[in-house]
Amino acid sequence: MTVVPSTEPSDETLASRAAAGDDHAFETIVRRYQARVYRLAGRLTSETDAPDVLQDTFLQVHRHLPSFRGDSRFSTWLYRIATNAGLMHRRARARRPAEPLDAFLPTFDAAGSHCGTPEQLRVVSEADERIDRQVLAGKAREGLARLPDLYREAFVLRDLEEMPTAEVADVLGIEPAAVRQRVHRARLLLRGYLQDVIGGRS
Amino acid sequence: MSETACVSGLELLVDYLEGLLPAPTVAALEGHVAGCQKCQAFIASYHATPRIMREATDASLPVTVQTSLADWLRKLRET
Repeated sequence: MTVVPSTEPSDETLASRAAAGDDHAFETIVRRYQARVYRLAGRLTSETDAPDVLQDTFLQVHRHLPSFRGDSRFSTWLYRIATNAGLMHRRARARRPAEPLDAFLPTFDAAGSHCGTPEQLRVVSEADERIDRQVLAGKAREGLARLPDLYREAFVLRDLEEMPTAEVADVLGIEPAAVRQRVHRARLLLRGYLQDVIGGRS
Repeated sequence: MSETACVSGLELLVDYLEGLLPAPTVAALEGHVAGCQKCQAFIASYHATPRIMREATDASLPVTVQTSLADWLRKLRET
């Protein structure tokens, strides 16, 4: 949610003006959201594709503003458009499926206890002391790129953009329980992947 | 429910973190984790994962991209 000083018009007011043809109102919307949409676009696709996704998003927003009815918050509506634009770019780029991360899911012994020692299971929480920050960041981005779209969208919106679960559900058009399930799966896959990268594979 | 195993605790973790579990289940889960070093270690790394990913993917809008968007807006206004 955007915190707007009381002297500035709300998103919804700007959207209404922009839909009526007020270019200045549309430009204000773009300025207000461009940095956040760019960051979201990069997280959903890649640094390379983010500029195109950014422009596609605002093009779609401009086209569809007259159909914005205010059923959800303007920011939710905009994030929905950006998420779809990101998905379209990912699909257009994907020449071969990314190597799955399923091998990094947690494993358990016959009694249902975690495999591995506490030291191995803990390494991700000690990443800053165990691995160079730049190396870790690069590996983390590689891991995110390998997440299936289904999990990546939910994880990016919930955990990286830090949106409430209910709003993520609204953006993705799914139930909150499905958001929780997808985010949990993404966390497990990435946690295991990072553990392997850092060197604590059990 | 002191018999809670790591695997069943993990299935409940996301609902626990969102405050959706009934009190008896919360008590059983917390009881298990309090006595399980593996779960404590796993949960610490589970919590660290989004932070690491967030920091790795944080990005500022480059000036070149901002300029390009401004150019596009100008063209849009002129059409």
